[in-house]
Amino acid sequence: MHQFSSFLFLGGFLFFLSVLTGILPLGDPPMIIGQAIQNHGVSETGAANLVTAVVLGYRGIDTLGELSILFAAATAGGLVLATGKKKTQASADEDAGFIVKTAAELLFPLLVVAGLYIVIHGHLTPGGGFQGGVILAAAFFLPLLAKPSTTMNHNTMSLVEGFSGAAFIGIGLIGLFNHGAFLQPLLSKGVVGELFSAGTLPLLYLAVGLKVGAELAGLLANLNEEDDENV
Amino acid sequence: MKELIVLTFAVPLLMAFLLPTISRVSFTLSKLIAPLVLLALAIMVVCIWNFHTETFVLHIGNFIGPQGIVFYVDRLALLFAFAIFAMTLLMWPWYFEKDESSDTRTRKLSLTLLLVAASAGMSLSGDIFNLYVFYELLAVASYGLIAAGNKKPAGNSYAAAFRYLMISALGSVFALLGIALIYFQTGTLNLAHLSEMKELLNNPAGLIAFVFILLGFGVKAELFPVNSWVPEAYMASSKRVAGLLAGLVSKLAVLVIIKALVLIYPQDEARQLLLFLGIAGVIVGEFSAMKAQDMTRMLSWSSIAQLGLVFIAFSIPGKAGMLAGLAVALHHLISKPAMFLIAERWGGSLQNLKGRAQSSPIMAALLILFALSMVGIPPLPGFWVKFLLLSGLSAQQAWLAIAVVLIMTVVETNYLYRVISSLYSRDEQQSVTSRHRTADTFSALILAGVLIFVSVQVQTVGQALDEIAQDAVDVKSYIDLSLGGGS
Repeated sequence: MHQFSSFLFLGGFLFFLSVLTGILPLGDPPMIIGQAIQNHGVSETGAANLVTAVVLGYRGIDTLGELSILFAAATAGGLVLATGKKKTQASADEDAGFIVKTAAELLFPLLVVAGLYIVIHGHLTPGGGFQGGVILAAAFFLPLLAKPSTTMNHNTMSLVEGFSGAAFIGIGLIGLFNHGAFLQPLLSKGVVGELFSAGTLPLLYLAVGLKVGAELAGLLANLNEEDDENV
Repeated sequence: MKELIVLTFAVPLLMAFLLPTISRVSFTLSKLIAPLVLLALAIMVVCIWNFHTETFVLHIGNFIGPQGIVFYVDRLALLFAFAIFAMTLLMWPWYFEKDESSDTRTRKLSLTLLLVAASAGMSLSGDIFNLYVFYELLAVASYGLIAAGNKKPAGNSYAAAFRYLMISALGSVFALLGIALIYFQTGTLNLAHLSEMKELLNNPAGLIAFVFILLGFGVKAELFPVNSWVPEAYMASSKRVAGLLAGLVSKLAVLVIIKALVLIYPQDEARQLLLFLGIAGVIVGEFSAMKAQDMTRMLSWSSIAQLGLVFIAFSIPGKAGMLAGLAVALHHLISKPAMFLIAERWGGSLQNLKGRAQSSPIMAALLILFALSMVGIPPLPGFWVKFLLLSGLSAQQAWLAIAVVLIMTVVETNYLYRVISSLYSRDEQQSVTSRHRTADTFSALILAGVLIFVSVQVQTVGQALDEIAQDAVDVKSYIDLSLGGGS
């Protein structure tokens, strides 16, 4: 009965959405803000990647919000997972075989380089802090998967996480105190398309990348370390 | 000076990021530094209130025009910003359970700071998607705080937090869908820009967007159909968190809905929907509160009913509605957290409350004060609040709403009287008394002081509120200021 009513609701909702798409002017959206950003985005921010111009320039404060949401989720996750009992050496899973361990060691530098490349070139090519940060997190989590008995250094993680977040806000505050607007893009815009261009946007993306990487790696390590018998 | 208002959300965020590192050096330091920062920010807001009587606008990142994000800082936003800091200081989680590690404690403090930052952002922002981002931050921080509540019986707070997460996530999807619908039809997200183009949204698809936004933000605002998480979550979380969520967080969600209503949806249909859901909320809330067998649960349901009154009040068009709505909301903001603090030691069945007034006479007296104000006995502020509400409704000839408000006041009186009479009744077998903690009594006393101050100075406060309401309904100056170049 319960399932039936769920299906009924779902069906009704789908019907409702399809009616809605019938009313909407699909395929012909009004381009007011979009057009304005397309016309002036590159010249106002100096970023070759327009998405970055929006994410860190026009809507930089949204990105700070997203970053904090991730932080809040990781913190809340840590709160729920903390059972107070760490896995002991004995209860940890066995190490993986030779092939997985060697592959993990080989992949680690490659993943770090790829992650950093994507973070640093965020203002030029598709990608950026969030995407690169996830790759960085994977790089640091890989050794843990190959050898579950090793533990991650949480002090370093929280240091990186805290200070990269603080750096993002710090850059914003420098803009506030020197130019009167929070998160104002600073430094020279340079030549569009070069690595050192777009002012502070690459620095902001670097902070995002490090924070996302440290946060996700820390969360995954937390999941790995807590004794799952008591969760 | 005025651009420093950005610090109200940037600094708590900075503190939240750095707190784990600070507490690895010294936990005591991190426990002390956060309230001090909040105090400093509260003082800063008061200074800005005094020195900048004019409404002003800040362009984040100096991107002028609707493609950037603006902070619209009027008296209303400043009032809420101050309320956020003052309330969080009063409800600050000073107490921890004995078996908690310092990591867990730091996480709780971090989450509280994130809640503050998100609330400050929500009171200031003038961009509908930016409001949504802060709302999400608020939601995620509150999941964590509820999950960190009491674990007895085992997993109690986890179950409550999970159910809350499910409803809230559904609400977020709705809110996002509503915002997408608005963006699809107008091509902009800036509230002032949307207000200029509100004719484009005066159609079924536009109203559906309003319904989605109402349901989405209504989850935190304890709006009628999406509030089933409330009693369970408040039961499971610590009463300080419950007070913060019921008093402060719900009002910020209401603020977003009101911004949308005043600026974008002046239609009668939108107001009628609000009125209808508000009436339903009052009826459901008061009757459930009457049936509740536990003081916290009773207060949770009564909170839902009070929020219903807020929605009824805001459904009155024009300045009268804004004034009545603000009055009801602020009265609830002051009294409900205090009542949760009073309920901290009085959990469990209502039967157990017999004779408790003897062991804690101050808290029992405070409860009487707040209960009288809630019901609306002159000269307490609750009377003026209900007076504003009823006179606004009668000007609209909304007789049904008036009848509901009056009848439900009788129900409210009934259950509050039951609690108080059992507190003062004689108890044969002396039950084990657990005393209230000093900080709880202190915070409740301060809130009671505010309540008495308002009832003495009711004319001054009323005039100030009137000016704030006048500013808040001034759509034209909102558009001119937000979209004009420079500040």
